[in-house]
Amino acid sequence: MITISELQHHFKIGKKGNERLVPVLKGVTLEVGNGEIVAILGKSGSGKSTLLHILAGFMSPEAGSVLVNGQETSALKESEQASFRLANFGFIFQNFQLMPGLSAFENVELPLKILGMDEADRKKKVQQMLGKVGLQEVSGHYPNELSGGQQQRVSIARALITDAPIILADEPTGSLDSETEKEILLLIQSLNKKLGLTFVIITHDEEVAAVADRQYHLHDGELVKGEQRHAV
Amino acid sequence: MQFKDQIDFIRQHMKRNKLRVATTILAATMGCAFLIVLASIGFGLHQTLTDDVLNNNLVTEIEVAGKAGEETDLSPGEIPDAEVQQMREMQHVAAVVERNRPDAETKVVIGERSTYSNVVLSSMEEEQKAGFGLSEGKMPANANEVVIGYHTADMLLTEAEQEKQEKGEEVSGFAGSLIGQTIELQLTPFMNEGDEKTEMAAWEFVVTGVAKEPAKDWMTDTGVYADSSWGAIFNEELNMQPGYENILVYADDLQNVGGITNALKEDGYYVYSVTEELGTVNVFFNALKAGLIFVGTIAVLIASIGIFNTMTMAVTERTREIGVMKAIGAQPKLIRKLFLMESAAIGVIGTVLAVVISYGISMLSNWLIPIIVMSSLGEDQPEDFTIIISTIPWQLVVIASVISIGVAMVSGWNPARKATQIDVIQALRQEM
Repeated sequence: MITISELQHHFKIGKKGNERLVPVLKGVTLEVGNGEIVAILGKSGSGKSTLLHILAGFMSPEAGSVLVNGQETSALKESEQASFRLANFGFIFQNFQLMPGLSAFENVELPLKILGMDEADRKKKVQQMLGKVGLQEVSGHYPNELSGGQQQRVSIARALITDAPIILADEPTGSLDSETEKEILLLIQSLNKKLGLTFVIITHDEEVAAVADRQYHLHDGELVKGEQRHAV
Repeated sequence: MQFKDQIDFIRQHMKRNKLRVATTILAATMGCAFLIVLASIGFGLHQTLTDDVLNNNLVTEIEVAGKAGEETDLSPGEIPDAEVQQMREMQHVAAVVERNRPDAETKVVIGERSTYSNVVLSSMEEEQKAGFGLSEGKMPANANEVVIGYHTADMLLTEAEQEKQEKGEEVSGFAGSLIGQTIELQLTPFMNEGDEKTEMAAWEFVVTGVAKEPAKDWMTDTGVYADSSWGAIFNEELNMQPGYENILVYADDLQNVGGITNALKEDGYYVYSVTEELGTVNVFFNALKAGLIFVGTIAVLIASIGIFNTMTMAVTERTREIGVMKAIGAQPKLIRKLFLMESAAIGVIGTVLAVVISYGISMLSNWLIPIIVMSSLGEDQPEDFTIIISTIPWQLVVIASVISIGVAMVSGWNPARKATQIDVIQALRQEM
């Protein structure tokens, strides 16, 4: 499903004219199969977010390739990448990244609006999705009226609503307390089992990585295979 | 995204920034209203002058003032009858009237009453085709019948009444109708160089009709309209040269006046019609209106700075939201479209309000200014004030709308373009 080959990337650091190149990814290679949960562990600055951004098409790698369902994503134009993301990826962010002016329902509905789905079908689908993540009661609430856990559930519902087969999660529990973290991780595991979704989770937290089928450590731009799944 | 959802999306955003959007709409409204009201003055003055020209002229009348000859120009009287007949046969020509005025002083006498007049000799048949209007009676059926001017009866005074009139006293003129009455027409040739005196001659005519009232209150018609065959008789009896003649061509419709005028010009005739006069008026006023619209556009451009500012702030404030939208799959062109629609919405709302307000100001000024002007002049009849201060035709509304909405969209273009260029990674790093 996802094949990352020999991915290389550098960042420029320093003032203009006196810049130096810092390698972030040094030939990263990774394969993620259908329905797998893969965790990429790493410290701050290890390049794990860069890897996720390249995978999502938010930036292009300097070398190497990313194949998602057979499509070389770095070869796509900006507008093609937007359509590709809408069809293939759902995103869960550390800070939830919800629209403050939209209710929980409207936030989940947004990707379907972008997709151009009819209002009646859309409403039905959002209701069902909010039911799946346990948020029917608070569907009319705005993000600032929801707890961190509820906001992340809204974010997860928004990621799942387009039936994208791959969910990219960047520190999905980074802003949550330990109790809520467990809830969210259980939800991810449950969705993976029930819906067969593929998750790529970027985290610095070993406990979060523990839900993954496979773990990888990103250290100094190099990817090292870690432990297999054990119970949360 | 469906169009309805796009409208809903921008409505939500505008609602969230009510005050800022409202003040921007207010600026756009003021700019557009200024443009419309300013230009409406030009349109009003143009209409005033056009109405004036059309009221003072028979709009389908084309005067032939002569023709360019090989050596010398021909006066209307010198244009051959065959050519006049050719004019009658032109397409859309209803009638061609040759009017002749004898080179003599004319007096109308009935009993003890008399008045100075002017005789117009013409073909009554052609006059009828040209739409010669009567206020009473009928057109002459034979050569010794005439039509008199609308004011001729009022001006027929006795000597005593004439003296009273000279003293400024009011006199009533001929009482009753002149229809069926016999009048005496006295002609005394004007003296030329070398003449010691001229002889007067008189003819009797029966009045069959009274011409309709002239279009303007200040015009007085004391004419006598007789058949053109009298021209030769008068000239022979009084030993006169042919008098002043003019040729009037009448179109069947106002819209054909321009075509006939141009055709006659191409044939070498010197012509004058209402389209000629309006043409000069139109050139001047179109230039004036263009100038006023240009000045008004400056106000719209100033208002556009507000729209630019509002949209730039909207993009800056919504950077994170734009980043999220791009991340979850929104096309850059959709984001650009949403921002352009928002600036266009400001322009549209501002324009609609401006049009409504402008019509209000226009009506108010047309009602109030005549009252102020007439009372400052000591007059108490504002209806005598005939100048239209402001008029807003639909063309002005269209021009102002295109300028206003166009400028609003151009103002929103750069912020919208910036929105599409927002980097997703940078945007997602922004705090809420």
